[in-house]
Parts: sequence; structure tokens; C-alpha cells
Amino acid sequence: MREITLSQAVNEAIAEEMRRDPTVFLMGEDVAEAGTPFKVLSGLVEEFGTDRVLDTPISEPGFVGLAVGAAMTGARPIVDLMFGDFIYLVMDQLCNQAAKQHYMSGGKLTVPMVLRTNIGATRRSAAQHSQSLQALVAHIPGVKVAMPSSAYEAKGLMKTAIRDNNPVVIFEDKLMYQDKAPVPEEEYLIPFGEAHIKREGSDITFIATSSMVQVAEKAAALLDAEGISAEVIDPRTIVPLDEATLLASVKKTSRAIVIDEGHQSYGVTAEIASRLNEKAFYHLDAPVLRMGAMDVPVPFSPALEDITVPTPEGVAANARKLCAGEMIHAA
Amino acid sequence: MPHDVTMPQLGMAQDAGKIVAWLKAPGDAVAKGDALFEVETDKATMEVEAQAAGYLTGVVASEGDDVPVGQVIARISDSAEDETPAPAPTPEPAADALPEGRQITMPQLGMAQDSGQMVGWLVELGAQVGPDDLLFEVETDKATMEVPAGASGYLAATLAQAGEDVAVGAPVAILSADAPTNTVARSAREAAAPAAPTEAKAPEAPEPPKQTTTPAKSPGPQTGGRILASPKARRLALEQGLDLDRLVKAGHPQPFHVADLEVLRGLPSDTTPSAKAAEAGRRLTAHIPAHGLAEFASWATAHADSTDAVLAALAGQGHVAVVGVERFGACQSYALPDNRRLSQVAATDDAPELILRDLRGSFVQSVALGAEEVPVLTLMPDGDGLSLVLECAGHHLSAQAAIALLNDVAGRVAQPLRHLL
Amino acid sequence: MTKTNTEDYLRMYTQMVRIRTFEDNANQLYLSAKMPGLTHMYSGEEAVAVGICEALTDDDRITSTHRGHGHCVAKGAEFKEMFCELLGKAEGYCRGKGGSMHIADQSHGNLGANAIVGGSMGIATGSALRAKLQGSDDVTVCFFGDGATAQGLWYEVMNMAALWNLPVIYACENNGYSEYTKTEEIAAGSITARAEAFGIESHQVDGQDVLAVNALTNKLVARARKGEGPFFLELMTYRYHGHHVGDINREYYRSKDEEKDWKENRDPIVRFRGYLVEQGIATEDEIEAINTAVEKDATDAVAYAEAAAYPDVSEVDMHVFSDIEHALA
Repeated sequence: MREITLSQAVNEAIAEEMRRDPTVFLMGEDVAEAGTPFKVLSGLVEEFGTDRVLDTPISEPGFVGLAVGAAMTGARPIVDLMFGDFIYLVMDQLCNQAAKQHYMSGGKLTVPMVLRTNIGATRRSAAQHSQSLQALVAHIPGVKVAMPSSAYEAKGLMKTAIRDNNPVVIFEDKLMYQDKAPVPEEEYLIPFGEAHIKREGSDITFIATSSMVQVAEKAAALLDAEGISAEVIDPRTIVPLDEATLLASVKKTSRAIVIDEGHQSYGVTAEIASRLNEKAFYHLDAPVLRMGAMDVPVPFSPALEDITVPTPEGVAANARKLCAGEMIHAA
Repeated sequence: MPHDVTMPQLGMAQDAGKIVAWLKAPGDAVAKGDALFEVETDKATMEVEAQAAGYLTGVVASEGDDVPVGQVIARISDSAEDETPAPAPTPEPAADALPEGRQITMPQLGMAQDSGQMVGWLVELGAQVGPDDLLFEVETDKATMEVPAGASGYLAATLAQAGEDVAVGAPVAILSADAPTNTVARSAREAAAPAAPTEAKAPEAPEPPKQTTTPAKSPGPQTGGRILASPKARRLALEQGLDLDRLVKAGHPQPFHVADLEVLRGLPSDTTPSAKAAEAGRRLTAHIPAHGLAEFASWATAHADSTDAVLAALAGQGHVAVVGVERFGACQSYALPDNRRLSQVAATDDAPELILRDLRGSFVQSVALGAEEVPVLTLMPDGDGLSLVLECAGHHLSAQAAIALLNDVAGRVAQPLRHLL
Repeated sequence: MTKTNTEDYLRMYTQMVRIRTFEDNANQLYLSAKMPGLTHMYSGEEAVAVGICEALTDDDRITSTHRGHGHCVAKGAEFKEMFCELLGKAEGYCRGKGGSMHIADQSHGNLGANAIVGGSMGIATGSALRAKLQGSDDVTVCFFGDGATAQGLWYEVMNMAALWNLPVIYACENNGYSEYTKTEEIAAGSITARAEAFGIESHQVDGQDVLAVNALTNKLVARARKGEGPFFLELMTYRYHGHHVGDINREYYRSKDEEKDWKENRDPIVRFRGYLVEQGIATEDEIEAINTAVEKDATDAVAYAEAAAYPDVSEVDMHVFSDIEHALA
């Protein structure tokens, strides 16, 4: 199968959906000729013109608000938010307006919009361009949240998101845009709420999102050599969450580590760990661990930044302890 | 069509308003928008406008009255002669007019009793009472008793009349902290509507006894602390009849995980725990932090032959017919009547089906004596309260029945008046 | 006077009376503690909603505000579904999930009231963007109050609306008060000048004169349909009640004399009624017949709503997502 980059996969998905459905359009800062700073959208304006690929002023609340209104009245906007950190700027439009319209109207209004943005530290971009804020959005009922872990997922999830009748936020890891993966030429969609078992194992389950899937897979490879068999699961969407697949795996292995690049406290890892605790307690032979980003603003210095995020070595070390029955974080 | 004039809701969290002044007199012609009356709340004073044109009639609230929000206080009629008083508000009956204070509810006297009949009030409306003053007399199909006030205050409202049946837990009286300016006497039917005074606390039923029943693993010496084991290891041990205690005794390091169960299985199998456990019998402990036995004693002696008869009834009622009370090695059996009347508990020579061993006068604080001929309940001092241990053989009582028995008895010992009658 | 005008005028009068009557009944429901929550009364501002919405079709969209009952009625909503919504009943426009501050009726193009001040400015502008992208000629009117002009979002969306010539009309209902504060204490300079700074054609109009509002809106809507938008209207009006129904003692921010003056001398319904009679468009009897019919309509709708059923509790997790029937199942 051919291999393409995650960036190309996103581009393909959007192009295919724009060809298929004339109500789909793209808007955001520097999305047209510039094709975004990451060049993810390059070439689209040439095919679809500036009527369907709209460069906006630097007004995040404004253009996200426009997308909400356009979506409520029959269009399917894809909004590009250049950095995930700018989510804070658009919270009212996303969480008070988009997320609640369907519910507040008793099901009569729908908001079929996609907000695509990014996450990921270790790009030396410091505290305001490096955050992974998916937990903030996932906390709000009414918004779906997808987190592709490779080019394959990026394309399939994007196409599903564009066809979904609810607001969907897609968080792409900005460090993965050039990562290649096999992506079929023929059309495919990845349904929301279906986790993917990336690697089967029997001793411990790693539940990982986005780029943390790679971290988990590397950790699993390290452990393999030591006779510890790790299963790696990618939920692919954290809202809706495929609880059944996660629970089945944890019931099988009886141990789990949840890995996500958002801050560890009150985060995605905490939510998933908590559900495993509630629903698989009597199948657990060890505490479920969370591994998120350190609870500090992302520092600039490489010496500091690199230690704030989960690493394969860190995941493997924790897995060894759990499998050996060592007490973690206990006196 | 006459138009109701209601006490308006003015603030965001306001229940009532005070009528400062009527600005129109009954019979006056009013136009829509005319100021009708002036209202005062804790936040503001305002004039309330007429919402319809006509004549002010049926005024039922006076200046100075505190009126709940939404209550109809007058009407605007098509003629000045409309004499019909404003209708009483349907959704919330005048229960709002009840004085503020502590609610006294119909106590639950028997074990399966839904209501009690109000025999009569023993205190005059408005009188001051202390906690031990008897407030009213209640009759159930099992017994008649006088109920004490339980708190100090003034009998500000009676919400049931003699002869009326009142549901257990339903309010029958209100005790106000201060001498009431006006008292209320109602029948239970009037009071049956939902509302209650705004300050009303939860029904004044006594706190249920705080009890813990701890099924012990074995009658042998207990480990001091809790065994540390993973949830899965515990579940598998339970399912497979493995005793984690044996791992502790073997000196195996905690916490235990599933892998450690293999070690447990490999221990010398002089005992196969699961089968033995049933043979070894059951031992359950209940702790009763505070108990009502002492204050109960004087009342009980008036109704029963002896304190031991009461103890026998506490221990066996509802479970067995003959209970032995054992103290300092001597055991006397008592036959329990079907009707639960304490006065009919009588000494007998029949063999007991259950023994209550009273060690309250001893220094013994813990027993693990193993199963005897019949189940044995041992009553012992425990700090300010009591502890109660049930020991029996597996064939005497199922685990569920043993728990139920101990739980019942502990509850009665903690609250004899509530549970026994 | 042509027949068409007679019908239009009587409909405008009726719609204003419907708003006033709706609000009087809603106020009564609140005062008598029959309505959950609280509400913001539109009384006094009727000529704004009616003058504008009478210039629109059902295909044209509006976005509304926390003071939104007037817009909803003017855009064609029915009393029954509105009162049901105010009382949280299943037959309400939003199945009781929105209430007074989120009432929406998209069958008539009302995209909904919004409880965030200025919160719908993006939605209205987005609706206009959709119209332009899809080549449809509908126009969107964005209602908001003078208080909302202090929100940054407005400047962001006006900028885009002007850049892209979007068919949106920003209708600022200046009732003189930003919640409990005089507008002059929160707004620097001229409000129309702010829109003009983006090159947006702006008008200030007497919001108590339904004919003036309607005539101007008709012209602007027609131009917006041709791609000449956006436009800005500042409608000078007055709210008879406090910020919300519980805002009773308000003399610390405005005098009773001032309220009396607006009610007695500038009431939009009284003024228009006088005009209709004076011009011979309707007799006093005909006017009274309209008033009585509206009153009965409201009384019946309130009674219906009071008796109507609450939504089943199973609806609590419905409508979270459009494709998941029960979000928590």
C-alpha cells in the first residue's frame, strides 16, 4: 500500500469531501494560498477557489462564530484553528454556542461543523503554542472529539467528522504532520466510537491517544524483550469513547496505563482510568496508572521541555512495576 | 371573569412578602395598571399594579400579613358586589401559615407498622415542654404508648386530632423555640397536603443505630491490620475458596496479586479452607456505639416480668420462640409470645433455641468460643457502647440469616423503644 | 390608502399587541410563581421587532437575545408552543430544554434567543456567510442590545461582514440601559460611528415608530439581498420593565418619571393605534376587537401550557448529539 504523510492524509480527506458535498467549505487564518503554516492545506484553494477556502482575519472567536451560524443554516464548515492553544479564545462560540444548540432547541437545530486544530509539545514553541487541550473540549457535552494517531486515522476520522451532524473537534499532533503511514487509495471512513487494538498483548493494556500511541508501541517493544506482553489500544475518538473495547482488554490483562499528552490532572487519562476503576475493579490486579504531561506550563528550554511528556522508557518502567506487583505512589 | 390578585414573586429567591398597605379599598373601582397594594420583602418595597380592570373584592389578606408568593389575596371582579372571598390557593394549601419550629412526627413503634392512631394530646397547645415531657399518646395494633417531646420548646401546632390515623413519619406537631404568637390546631387530613414549614427539618426520627457487622474469616487469632491484596486477587480468592489469611501467616509479602494465589495453592494443604470454614462456624460482630437500654429499663419493668424477659425479647423476637438468657453461668429460658407483648414474655423450662450470654458485668471484651448447641449471642461492654457477637455453626443459620439476626438484634438494643414494640 | 397597506398595518398592530399581551401574561406567570426561572420583558420595544420582522420572510433568519420573546412572536411563533416552552413543557418549541432565554423557532427562521450577551453575533454573520456562499438571497438580522456593543466579538464579525459584503443587518436595540447601568456610562463615543468605521452604512431610527422602522428595514433588506450589505441600525427604544422581572426597585438607576414619560407619551402601540384610527384604517371598535381576540388567544395558550405535560425524564440525555438517541445510554 502507498504511504503518505499525515498532512497529505488530512488534505486528501478535505478535498474528497469538498468534491463530494458542495456545502463543505474551509475557513481560517492563512488557509488559502499559504495553506496554513504547516502546509497541511496547500493546493486546496487552487482546486476550490477562494469562495470555498476562506482566509479570515486573525479573529478566532469571530470566525468560529461564523462557522457555527453557517452550520446552523445549511453549510458544513471546516474551521482551521492554527494552534490548539487558541481554543481558549473560542470557548464561548464552541462550548456555549456550538455544543448546546442541538440540545437547547430540543433537537431542532444542528451544528455540523468541524474544528481542526493541533496539540503536541517538544517543538520548542513554549507555553502558548504547545498545549494539548483536548480534555477541555471533551468535558463539554455536545462536542465530539477525535484524535488521529497516524495518517490512516487522520484521513478516515476527518471524512467521518465532515459528514457528522454534530460539532467535531479534531486534534492533530503537529509533530506528526510529516509522519508517513500506509493509506489506501480507495475511499474509507473510520466510524467514531470504535477503538483500534494496535497490538495485542496479555499482561498489560496501554490506552494511548494521538502521538502517545507511538510512545506506547515503543514501550511495548521494549517490554517484549523482557517477556512482558503489552496490548496497545487507540480509542481514536475520546468522545464518544469505546468503553467496551477498553474494558474487555483490561479485564483480560488486569493492568492498564492510560497515556495522553494533555496535563495529567483532571485530564483524559483521569477520565479513562476512572471508568476502568468503576467498571473493571474486580478484574484489576494493579492500580490503573495515568501518564499525562507534567502539570506545568510547557517550558521552552529543550532540557526542560523533553521531560514534561510521557516517553516510551517511562511507560515501560511503570509497566514493569505494575507487572511485578510493586506498589506505586504508596508508602 | 374575576381576576385573582396574588402575592407576586419579586426577587429571585423569595418565598413570601409582607403587605405594607392596601392602596385600594374593597369595592373600589380599579383600572389595569393602578397601584393596588404595597409589598415589602427583605430586598425591597414596591407597589403592585392591578393586572386587570374591575372592582377590588374578596380581600383576604390584611396589612401586616406575611403572605406566601403565589397565594391569592383578593380578586378583581366585574362588580363591586361580588362577595365571594378569594379562593384559597389550590397548589399550596395554607400549610404555609404554620408556625416555624421543629417538626414532631408520628414515631414508628412496631417493626412493620405504617401508621399510628392519635389517642390524645397530653400537653395543651401553646404550653412549654421539655424533652422528656410526654407530648401525646399513640396506639398501634400492638401497643399504646406515650411519646415524649424529645426537645424543649412550645407546642405551637398540633397537626392531628384524637382518633385520627397518621402515617409513620408524617408531622403531628410543631415545637417552636419561642412562645408562639398564634397556635395552630389541625386535623391530619388538612395537614396531609405536602407543604411544611419552610424551616422544617427532616422528620425527627431518631438516628438509626450505627452498626457494623463483620463476618470473620475464622475463629482463630486475627491479623491486626487489613490484608493488602489487589481487587482481582481478592475476587479470585473468594471464588476459589482460598484464604488469603494463610498467605499472611506463611509470611508471604503483601500486597498480594493474582500470582500470589499460586503460592497460596502451593501451601501445605492440611486444611482446605473453603469447606472447613463452614464447619468452623460463623462469627459476626456488631458494635453499638450508644444504646438505649438504661433509659429503657425503668419503662420496661412496668411492662414485663423482669429485665431478662426484655433482653430475651430483644434477642429473639421474630426469629425464635424460646430464648435463654445466660449470666454468670446460669441460664433461664423465656418463651416469646406471638403477639410481641412484653408483658406476656414468660419464663419457661423449654430448651432455648438461642442463647443471649450477657457479659456486661465482666471484664471479657472479646470472645471466639466456637459454635455451640444453639446460636449464641454474646453481649459485652465496648467503650461507652456495647458489642454483640453472634456465634453459630454453619448448619444453624445461613450466612444471610446470621447477618439478618445480628443486625436486627443490634438495632433493637440500640433503639429498644423503636424496634421492640 | 391601498388595501395591501391596510392589511400590513393591521398585522403590524396585531403583532405589537401580541407581544405586549404575551409579556403581560409571562410576567403574571412569573409573579404568581408558576414559571420556573426568570425572564426578561420586551414590553415597550414592540415596534422594533415588528417593524423589522414584518420586512422579512420565513426564509430570512434572525438571531435573538435574552430579551427575546418579542422577536420570536414578531417572526411568527405561536403562543401555545411559546408558553409551553416558558413553563418547561414537552410541547414547547424546544421541548422544554431551552426556556425563555433559549427560545428558538427555526420554522419561521428564528435561530434562537441567546443568553450570552452578544453571543449570537457570530451565528447571524455566519448565517449570512452561508447565504452568500450558497447564492441564496435571504437576509439575516442580528438583534442585540446596547450592552452587547461592548463585546469584542461584534467588531470581529462586522469586520468580516464588511470585507465580504454579507447580507446581515445588525439591529442594536438601544433601550438606554445595559442591564442596571445607563448606556452612556458604558459606551464611549457614538455607537453608529463604530459600525461606520468598518465602512458599514448605519442609521439611527426612532424605535417607537413602527412605520419608520419598517420602511427603513424594507429598503435595507432589499439592498442586502442584492449584495449591498451589511447594514447597521441603532433603534432608540425603551424597556418598560427592569432588566429582568425580578428587577423591581430600580430608582437607583432610572426614575419613575422617566418610565412614566415613555409609557404615556411614546408608547409604540398607543401611537400606532392613534394613527390607524386617525387615518381611518381601523375604527376603535375594530381595534378593541383585535385586542380582545389577542387577549383570548393568550389566555387560552396559558391555560393550555399550564395543563400540558412535562417532558418525560427519559428525554434528559436526548438531543445531546443528533445521531445518538440517548447520549448516556
